[in-house]
Amino acid sequence: MISISILLLIIIPLVVAFLIPLLDLYNKLLRRYLVIIGGVIEISISIYIIISYFSDLKAGKFFLTYYLGGWGPPFGINLVMDSVSLIFSSLISFALFFIIIYSIGFIGHHEGKYYVLFFLILGAMQGAILTGDMFNLYVFIELLTVTSAPLVAFKRNKHATEAAIKYMFYGVIGGLFFFVGVILLYFNIGSLNMAQLAQHFAEIENNMQLTIISIFLIGLLIKIGIFPFHFWLPKAHSACPSSLSALLSGVLLKVYLYIFIRLFWIVIGFEFLLEFNIASFLVYLALVSSLFGHVFALQASDIKRMLAFSSIGHIGMILAVFLLNTETGFYGGLLHIISHLLMKTGLFLSTGYLLQYTKSNHIDDFAGVGHQNKGIFVGFILLTLSMIGMPPFIGFFSKWYIIMAFLKIQHHFGAIVVVLGSLSAVFYYLRFIAKGYEKIKLSASDLKNEIYNRPILSVFYREKLVTTVIYIFVGMIILTGFSFRLFELPLQEGIKELINPQNYINLILGG
Amino acid sequence: MKKFLVGLLFIGLAFLLLINFAELPEEKLITFSLSDYYIGFGLEQTGALNLVTAILYDYRGFDSLGESTVIFAAVSGIVLILSRKMLPVSSHGLSFIVKRTLGILTPFIALFSLYVITHGHLTPGGGFQGGVILAAISIIFSIVYGSAFDYKRYSPELKTTFETGGALVFIIIGGLGILFDGFFLDNLDFLTHSPGTLISAGSIPLINIGIGFKVGAGLAIVFYSMIQKTFGEEF
Amino acid sequence: MLHHLVFTVLFLLGLYTVIYKNNLIKMVIGLNIMEIAVFFWVIAVSDTGKSVPIYHLNKFAASFNDPVPQALTLTGIIIGASTTALLLTFIIELNKFADTIDSNKLEGLNE
Repeated sequence: MISISILLLIIIPLVVAFLIPLLDLYNKLLRRYLVIIGGVIEISISIYIIISYFSDLKAGKFFLTYYLGGWGPPFGINLVMDSVSLIFSSLISFALFFIIIYSIGFIGHHEGKYYVLFFLILGAMQGAILTGDMFNLYVFIELLTVTSAPLVAFKRNKHATEAAIKYMFYGVIGGLFFFVGVILLYFNIGSLNMAQLAQHFAEIENNMQLTIISIFLIGLLIKIGIFPFHFWLPKAHSACPSSLSALLSGVLLKVYLYIFIRLFWIVIGFEFLLEFNIASFLVYLALVSSLFGHVFALQASDIKRMLAFSSIGHIGMILAVFLLNTETGFYGGLLHIISHLLMKTGLFLSTGYLLQYTKSNHIDDFAGVGHQNKGIFVGFILLTLSMIGMPPFIGFFSKWYIIMAFLKIQHHFGAIVVVLGSLSAVFYYLRFIAKGYEKIKLSASDLKNEIYNRPILSVFYREKLVTTVIYIFVGMIILTGFSFRLFELPLQEGIKELINPQNYINLILGG
Repeated sequence: MKKFLVGLLFIGLAFLLLINFAELPEEKLITFSLSDYYIGFGLEQTGALNLVTAILYDYRGFDSLGESTVIFAAVSGIVLILSRKMLPVSSHGLSFIVKRTLGILTPFIALFSLYVITHGHLTPGGGFQGGVILAAISIIFSIVYGSAFDYKRYSPELKTTFETGGALVFIIIGGLGILFDGFFLDNLDFLTHSPGTLISAGSIPLINIGIGFKVGAGLAIVFYSMIQKTFGEEF
Repeated sequence: MLHHLVFTVLFLLGLYTVIYKNNLIKMVIGLNIMEIAVFFWVIAVSDTGKSVPIYHLNKFAASFNDPVPQALTLTGIIIGASTTALLLTFIIELNKFADTIDSNKLEGLNE
């Protein structure tokens, strides 16, 4: 079904980003309203799509498409929204809307360029998820790199700039590999449309298939941050302001995961990973990466660095469970993507609030924050509990399904890694919680220092906005924990599609 | 020993790249491939003599939108990182003769860049290439007249307006495509004259003009951000 | 065959520069060499000895080179230029804080 609403999901953020510099020349105060309006439009389009096509979703034939320039596939660029992209796209609209509201209270300087880059990231994420064309996907991946790198350097100190340089080097090399992969696909098959590539991939020579798969793998593993290529991640995700860490760690990694899924299940086809024995190797690589992430998180003394390492752990786990290629595996993986998005975003946002009163991100400066901000710290604890995997939060249910998926095919190493990860998470989060409740005696100079360095959040409405957003995320993990069956319908539809990619090809190419 | 091992690794990698990439098939798998379609119907459907432009701005116009957004993002990022309220380094510039010569040459350079931009659908060139020539004018001015000259004459606000305006022109033309033909970035066919004339190929020249100004202004902004004096730096 | 050889040599030269040089600007140049190797290779492979894909008088459609790789490469070049500009900006900024662009002296890049 052709629908213009999925185009608007990409175009609206771009228009907002282009309008902000023009509006800044006229009046800088209006910018904030424009940003909120943009966020509201974006999320209402997502809600509109869900409501108006709910009957289609129920009947299992949810499929929206749009032809750019009126050139239908395979000769033009087409946008596609199916059940899997619906989940990711609406999650991103939801999460970014709240991060925007948080940013209004949180970011104090250079707001103009911040929102420009922020809305460009939003547009690029939606584009990378909705596009049905390989080269268009490459353009959006590069757009993601180019927009997120200046935001990594946003704090403009030595640490942040180093992180940005490292991020950029890895990002550009990953993008270059992706480019080579796309070009190789074009030279062999003669098309750039995902569905048509999927139709003809099996006819390529074996050697060339292996080359293409390995080039895409290198490019995407760099972007996702799996073990041999993860060195950029903790630095980049901890150097920027907390709202951006939430964006990069909570949302952006999922976009790359989605691209991985789209590429290897629909365009290339999973049977080739099995044929070349890459799949089982990748499962172990992802699990080792997961273990690495959790172990490094144990020894990290900087809270944001610890959260970034824990992201490596969780993303490795999700990737491993997807690569099992079973129905329960997909279910657990997709559910954990949802829950990790909610939990990690909420954690980074609440950490940003807690850290505003401290001198640095180091654990020693974390002492006593639990007494200063009682409500938020309780929210922080609830979020960490969900991260560890305590019932009744959503983190428990998603981890449960992941362990079940591993046990179902007798993959004991995977189950052990998941359990070990949760156990180590208990230790590294408890360290910070205990530190937060430590009693400290403030000397007179400390007190003076604190009053002198009053953070920007002390303006009343800013503090209100920030705390509200954090409470919303805490509420979400509790609510979805009790009612995670709400996601049952789109998840099941998505799984059906991943298991049967032929369906996607037929829908796009028309039989 | 370590160097030897790494050298061996590089030779192995070279071998793999060479063997695998040289194996490309002569013929594409699909009998009627993308390029066959574009070559076969490109002139008829878009009216552009230059098929590369026809692909860039019509068949795959969304790619170009993404591409110009990449430049926009890079410029925004560079301004974000290098924004220090300091005037650029100024000097008195080169000698009188050079300044006079440049004064005579500038209109011709501008004319050439406009030619490249507006004839994108007829000859090699287009918005991106012409925009770079446009930015070169600004850069030559800063070398010949000293960097403050251009800064005073074309303020950053003007450049920002051109940059965002160019990007918005692209989106507005895309939106007009929805109004007249039903699809975003659809070629505005009623503008088409017989192929080969200047006003032909629908909206392709219009998009070229928008992108040309956008790229020119964007690259000028990048250049001026980069030559700004940094604190503690001696010139 | 020759262009595959040139591509391989250029690509590995760029990779060598990125891995082994300590000067950050040289590393950026290495990255650019890698990119240009890829673009060169794409254009060289797509050139099958036919005519430029621009219509002139009295030319038959079948004798054109494939225009798609040229369009894709143009996109790639512009993206490469943007990323290079950004990287150089970061290096300018880092030089301001650390007063060096030697990656050995910046412990943040080596951990």
